[in-house]
Amino acid sequence: MKLNVIRAYLKKEFIDLIRNKMIILTYLIPTMILILFGYGIKLEVTHTRTIIIDHDHSKLSLEIINKFSHTKYFDVKVKNLTYKQALHKIQTNQADMIVIIPPSFSKNLYKGAEIGVFIDGSFPLRAVTLQGYVEKLLIHGFNIKLPIKIENRNFFNESMRDYNAVVPGLFGLIFLVVPASLAAIIIVKEKEVGTIFNFYSAPIKKVEFIIAKLIPPFLFHSLNIFILLLWTLYLFNVPFRGNFFIFWLVSEIYILISVGIGLLVSIITSTQVAALVLSVIITVIPGFLYSGILMPISSMDKESYIEAHIFPVMYYNHIIYDSFLVGQGFKSNENVLYFIILCIYAVALIVLGTSLVKKAIK
Amino acid sequence: MEILKVKNVSVSYGKKIAIKNASFSLKDQEILGFIGADGAGKSSLLHAIAGVVSFDGEIIYKNYTYHSPKEAEKIKNEISLMPQGLGLVLYDFLSVKEHFDFFRDLRGLKKDEEYEKRLLKMAGLYEFQDRLAGNLSGGMRQKLSLILSLLARPKLLILDEPTTGVDPISRAELWDIVNEMREEGMSAIISTAYMSEASKMDRIMLFDEGEIIASGRADELIENIKDYTYEGEIESKECFSFNKRTYCLKPLNLKKATPTLEGVFFVNALKKGKKPIIFEIPKKQIDIPNIIVEAKCLTKKFGAFIADNCINLELKKGEILGLLGANGAGKTTLIKMLLGLYPIDEGELYLLGKRIKSYEDRIELKSKIGYVSQKFALYKDLTIRENLEYFAKMHGLNMSESSKKIKEYSQMLGFEEYMDNFPKEVPLGINQRFSVAAALLHEPVVLFLDEPTSGVDTVARSAFWKLIRKLKANMGISILITTHYMSEAEYCDRVAVLKRGVKIVDDKVENLHKKYPGLDFEDIFLNIYKEKQNK
Repeated sequence: MKLNVIRAYLKKEFIDLIRNKMIILTYLIPTMILILFGYGIKLEVTHTRTIIIDHDHSKLSLEIINKFSHTKYFDVKVKNLTYKQALHKIQTNQADMIVIIPPSFSKNLYKGAEIGVFIDGSFPLRAVTLQGYVEKLLIHGFNIKLPIKIENRNFFNESMRDYNAVVPGLFGLIFLVVPASLAAIIIVKEKEVGTIFNFYSAPIKKVEFIIAKLIPPFLFHSLNIFILLLWTLYLFNVPFRGNFFIFWLVSEIYILISVGIGLLVSIITSTQVAALVLSVIITVIPGFLYSGILMPISSMDKESYIEAHIFPVMYYNHIIYDSFLVGQGFKSNENVLYFIILCIYAVALIVLGTSLVKKAIK
Repeated sequence: MEILKVKNVSVSYGKKIAIKNASFSLKDQEILGFIGADGAGKSSLLHAIAGVVSFDGEIIYKNYTYHSPKEAEKIKNEISLMPQGLGLVLYDFLSVKEHFDFFRDLRGLKKDEEYEKRLLKMAGLYEFQDRLAGNLSGGMRQKLSLILSLLARPKLLILDEPTTGVDPISRAELWDIVNEMREEGMSAIISTAYMSEASKMDRIMLFDEGEIIASGRADELIENIKDYTYEGEIESKECFSFNKRTYCLKPLNLKKATPTLEGVFFVNALKKGKKPIIFEIPKKQIDIPNIIVEAKCLTKKFGAFIADNCINLELKKGEILGLLGANGAGKTTLIKMLLGLYPIDEGELYLLGKRIKSYEDRIELKSKIGYVSQKFALYKDLTIRENLEYFAKMHGLNMSESSKKIKEYSQMLGFEEYMDNFPKEVPLGINQRFSVAAALLHEPVVLFLDEPTSGVDTVARSAFWKLIRKLKANMGISILITTHYMSEAEYCDRVAVLKRGVKIVDDKVENLHKKYPGLDFEDIFLNIYKEKQNK
C-alpha cells in the first residue's frame, strides 16, 4: 500500500469537492431530509372533528366529554343526532369520529358498559391512531375496558411525541442514501470524464484507488453524524438516553456500508446521472420502508418481514432508536447481534466491490 | 536495440474486433506513427500496449513479456499513456500546479524542481501555474497533459491522437516537446488522423478497419504506390480521385504524379476490390437571392467567456464556405446562432435577404435550411430507413412523397443497401452520407454541415467532398461546412478561419494560394496564426 497515492487522490478529491461546490450538497441534503421529513411526517393526529352524542346526561358522561374536549387531539361538538344522521356526517366528511354514550351508561358502568366509537376509516393509519387515542383516554381516565390492546409503538414514547418516533428513524434513511450517491458519483465521474486513465495507466493498486475514493465521502458524512445529532437533540428536542460512543460507532459502520453500496453502483454505471439515479433508487426505497418509521418491523407480514431483514437499515435503526429512546445499548443481546450484522455487511460490500473493480477498459 | 515487440495482438469488445493480429516492433528512440480513421483500431492497440485493456497475443517490453493488463502492472512506471481527447486526464477544478502535485504523488516521484520547470517552460505554461485546467484552451490542455505524462520520465510514451482538434501552433509545439524528449532517450508511439504529420515520424503504420495495411517509412510507402498515381481528377468506376490526383490499378493514359500518403489508403481499397461511388445528382435550377446568409458582427457570450466575438460572415449563392478552426474556436456556436439554436447576443443576421429577429422569422426559413449536426443527430434505435422517414415527417412530407424521396436519395448517395441497418452497424462514412440525405429531404437551398468529416476514413472523406461539390454544382445549393482538417480548405471555394472566437481569415482559396505560393493549407494557416500572434 502506497500512502502517496492515497494522499494524492485525497487531496485532489477534497479540492475538487470544495471547488465544484459539491460540499454544499454534502452538508445541505442530509439536514434538508431531516427537517423536511421530521416536520413533514405526521403520525400524530390532531383536531379530529368529533361528534359526541350523549344519551346518558350523567356526571360521568359529562366528564368524558370534558376529557375529549381538553386535548388538542379532538375538536368536540356535542349534538343530539340519531345514529343514522351521525353516520351520514362521517360519510359526507363532516366528521371524523363519532362517540355515542348510551343511556344509563354510568349506571351500568360496573356491569360492563360500552361506549360506541365510530371512526372514519378512509385513512387506515389515522383510524388506528385515533383508536389508540380513544382507548388510552378511556382506560387511563375511567378504567373502562375495551376489547383491544394498545400498540407497542408508544411504549417508549410516553409523551406521544411524533418527533421522537420519526426523527431518529431518518438517520437510517439519510446515511444510506447520501454517502452511497456521493461515493458512486466521485468514482463514476472519473469514468465519465476520462480521468480514470490516470488510474488505469499508472502503477497503482486497485485497493489504493478504492480506499482513496471512499475516504472522502466517509469522512464528510462522519461529520454529518454530529450535525444531524445536534438537529435531533436541539431542534426536535428528542431525548438521548443511550451511549454516545455506541451511537457514533454504529453510525460510522453504517456509512461504510453506504459507501460500499456506492462502490458497487459505480462498477455497473458509467455516467454520473445513472450512478446518482441508481444509487438513490436502490437505497431510498428500503431506507424508508424498512426504517421503522412507518411501521414497526415486528408487525410486518411474512414477505416484508423477510425483506426488511435483507436491508441493513433495520438493524441500524434498531440501535439508533435504542440510543435515543431506550438506552439499553450493548446490554441488549439484540443490539450486539445487530451491530455484528452491520459489521459483516460493511466488510462484505467493500470486499465484493474491490474484487469487482477492474483496472482496465471494459 | 528493440524496446518493444508486439506479437499477434488482437483486441475485441464483445463480438466486435477492434484490431486483429497486429505485430510490430519499436526501436530505441524511435517515433512510430499510427495513422488511420476513427474505429480503425489505433486506440485499441495503444491501450493494449499501455496495459489498460485485455488483449490476445503477446507484448514484450524490454525483456518483460505480458499478456494482460494485470501482468503489465510491472512496466507501468516506464510507460506513459496519454489517451485520446483534449486534456482527457485533467481535472477541471485543479490548477496546473496542483496537477503536478497530483501526478507526482500518483507515481511516487520525488519533486524535481528543475525538470518540472523545464517541462512547464516547454509547454508555455510556466506563467499559468495557478490557472485551473478548466480555464485552459484546448491546445494548452493538451500540452499540459503531455508534460504530465512526461513527468515520470517514461522510456516509452504512448500518445493517442494528441493533435486532433488542436490549433496549428500548439500542434507544432507538441511535436517540439516530443522531439526534445526523444533526444534524451525516449521512444514514442503516436497516433494521428492527420496524414501530414507522417513526416514527423520515423516510421508509420497505416490502419484500416482493424488491420495494419502498410508499415514503413513514409517515403517508402509513397514510393510503393507511385505506379498507380496519376495527375488530375477523373470520374471512373475503377479509380479513386482525390486532391488533384487519381489512383488506379490499371494503367491510365495520364501523366504520373508524386503520390501522397493518402494514396496508400486508396490503393489499398482498390486492391481489396472496392469501387468508388459515382453520385448521380440531377441538375436543377433554383431561384434564390445572391446572398444567402449575411451575419453582421455576431457575438455570443457564455458568462464571461466570449465564444464568438463580432463575426461578420457572408455566404453567397452556389458557394462552399469552409469554416475552419481548432476545437473551441467558436465554429459550432456560430453555426448554432445562424440556425437560431442559440439566441444572438449582439449583431444582425439576414437569411435570404430577410432580417431575422424573432422565433417566427426563423420558423419561416427553417424549410430552406438543411442542417447536419456534429456527430450526426441520428436515432440509434431506428433503422436508417426509419430515421429518414422520421425526418421526412418532421418536415411535413406525406407518405408517398417521402418514400419516393428516400428511395431517390438512397440511390443517389449510395447507401441503398444499408437502408434496414441501424446507424451503429454501418461505417461512419455511410452515417455521414445518410445524415446529409436527411438534411436534403425537404429540398433546402442551403446546407449547414458541422464537422461532417471528423474521424471519417480517407476513402469516405474523398467521396464526401465529391458529393458536396456535386450537390453545389447540380442542385445549386450553398454549403457552409466546418472542419478542423486544415487540408480540407482545398475543396472549399472560400474559407473563414476562427481563432478563439475571432475571425482571422476570410478569403477565397485561390487568393490564399497566390499569397502563400507553394504551401499547403496546413502551413498557410500556421503562417497566418503566427502572423496574428506576433501582432
